[in-house]
Amino acid sequence: MKKRLAGWLCDAALVLYFVFALFPIAWMVILSLKPTDQLFSTYFSFSPTLDGYRTVLGDSEGIPFVRFFVNSLVVSVGAVVLSLVVGLPAAYASARWRFKGSENLMFTLLSFRFAPELTVIIPLFVLYQKLGLFDTYVGMVWVLQLVTLPLIVWIMRSYFADLTPELEQAALLDGYTRKQAFFRVALPLVKPGVAAVSLLAFIFAWNNFVFPLILTSNEAQTVTVGALSFLGGDRPKYNLTAAAALVSVVPPLLLALTIQRYLVRGLSFGAVKS
Amino acid sequence: MIRLSGIRKAYGKTLALNELELEVREGEFFCLLGPSGAGKTTTLKTIAGLEQPDSGTVVLDGEDMRGVEPYDRGVAMCFESYALYPHRSAYDNLASPLRSPRHRLPADEARQRIGAIAELLGISGLLDRPVGQLSNGQRQRVALGRVLVRPARAFLLDEPLSHLDAKLRQQMRAELKAIGAVQHTTTLYVTHDSVEALALGDRIGVIRQGRIVQTGTREEIWYRPHDTEVARAFGRPRINLLPGVVTESGVRADGGVELPVRARAAPGTEVLVGLRPRDIALHGGEGHELTGTVYVTEVLGRSVEVTVRLGSGEQRVSLVAARADAARLRADDPVRLVVRPENLLLFEADRPERPGRRIETES
Repeated sequence: MKKRLAGWLCDAALVLYFVFALFPIAWMVILSLKPTDQLFSTYFSFSPTLDGYRTVLGDSEGIPFVRFFVNSLVVSVGAVVLSLVVGLPAAYASARWRFKGSENLMFTLLSFRFAPELTVIIPLFVLYQKLGLFDTYVGMVWVLQLVTLPLIVWIMRSYFADLTPELEQAALLDGYTRKQAFFRVALPLVKPGVAAVSLLAFIFAWNNFVFPLILTSNEAQTVTVGALSFLGGDRPKYNLTAAAALVSVVPPLLLALTIQRYLVRGLSFGAVKS
Repeated sequence: MIRLSGIRKAYGKTLALNELELEVREGEFFCLLGPSGAGKTTTLKTIAGLEQPDSGTVVLDGEDMRGVEPYDRGVAMCFESYALYPHRSAYDNLASPLRSPRHRLPADEARQRIGAIAELLGISGLLDRPVGQLSNGQRQRVALGRVLVRPARAFLLDEPLSHLDAKLRQQMRAELKAIGAVQHTTTLYVTHDSVEALALGDRIGVIRQGRIVQTGTREEIWYRPHDTEVARAFGRPRINLLPGVVTESGVRADGGVELPVRARAAPGTEVLVGLRPRDIALHGGEGHELTGTVYVTEVLGRSVEVTVRLGSGEQRVSLVAARADAARLRADDPVRLVVRPENLLLFEADRPERPGRRIETES
């Protein structure tokens, strides 16, 4: 009896938390479906309409939201790909070899993650203006390395460190070069890790707000900043912001769903004797 | 031909290899025997170029291997951990060397070789399986196959039979040396099992704390062990080592047991007398006679291990006798043992810093 009661209470607590956690999202969904004239009504009125979405995706109101969306995709994917190209070999090297200053280098890389972006944003702004990187894709992909690269290097480093080096040694003795050993043996074995960390890095890059806020104005602006433009003008259009925000949740969500099976798969499956 | 000279390798403060000297002759099957942590695997990895020695030289077929990458050394190694590629099938694991730039074979030729090796190792039926689905013994055979499948200057085998079940191990032990590739190729075989070493090795090297203590044929290792540790390592039941002192006429072991062994050592030297259990006869025969009483008997199958108290009782020796001879023995029965003086081994007494060395005897 007592046990049952505890179970009930537990379920109730979970439901409560569920409502609490989902409330902002539900609120946003409702908000995004409201017609403009009901936004500020003090009584509850709700006649759902897709007008908000039509406005946002139709680029009316003079705000090129679709372009922001494409910008976000280009910049985030670009940042993750560049980080993978640079970061995977770096992670592998730092997992396998100790060299002079290697730990300092790794720590410096990590420090990019815990130093607030705002501390470097002013000098970056000046640099970007001077170098002509302001409001460009290249500039955004580059600056987002501060977000994605440390993440990918540090997480992949631990994946590589978990692989026994004897697998690559066996490949060397089979007649493969170190590079071939990396691509044929080490890399395929950390594929689940690459998938997981890419997703994570993508989400971080996608959600980044400060860099596009300061370092872009129009051409390379992303959804995080773009969604706010609906709040300007004579009266804030919260329904449009909500619709824009919800649309911009779609890519990370889809990505997460597609690579879900990699996220849960175990790392090592019988490489070595147990 | 493999020659290691003056190899030193330290991991932090622990010295893995300490001035190691080793020579494996062309085409020879050489067994390296030692307890875990003695430096066996490090020795193999040093030869393969996977570990860089702090000092010393590795020579393969007369060529100094300094600065030569592992893939250019032309040696094949079987890892104790198998090191199979877990994302590939058993077949692809075996095919890996034959697809590499250095040992590439046309696909159908490769298939033939793999088929032949798989047949030999009894894994033909498993080739399509991912290695994750194989048992440890099966994985070990795939790992061995990956070594044997391609020509090599030398095979380096790190405990390649340790995870097979007893019956299969015995069978593979017998077959391993009959494999053509193994007969033609210099093979360095690492094991901690003295039976395996005696059964397989053309010559045997005993390694301890990063040094080779003794190398020799199985007869040399058996009859002229370098010290008490080597003597203890070979033979089950273990060799009997009786403490005693050198006298004018022989050795008086503790408890007043006189043994007719002439040592090249001054009277009064403390020694250990080694007696192999199978060299002690229970019933008669020619030789020196010892009397004692039965302490305990233990049936080992067709034979019986008998432990006998000698002299005033504080010395005990084990011997192995046929079951028929020992069947009626009970505790405290008096027995007469016979040993041949030429079978006695003599060692210095063990010291804390090192085991006692063998002393030459005159018979």
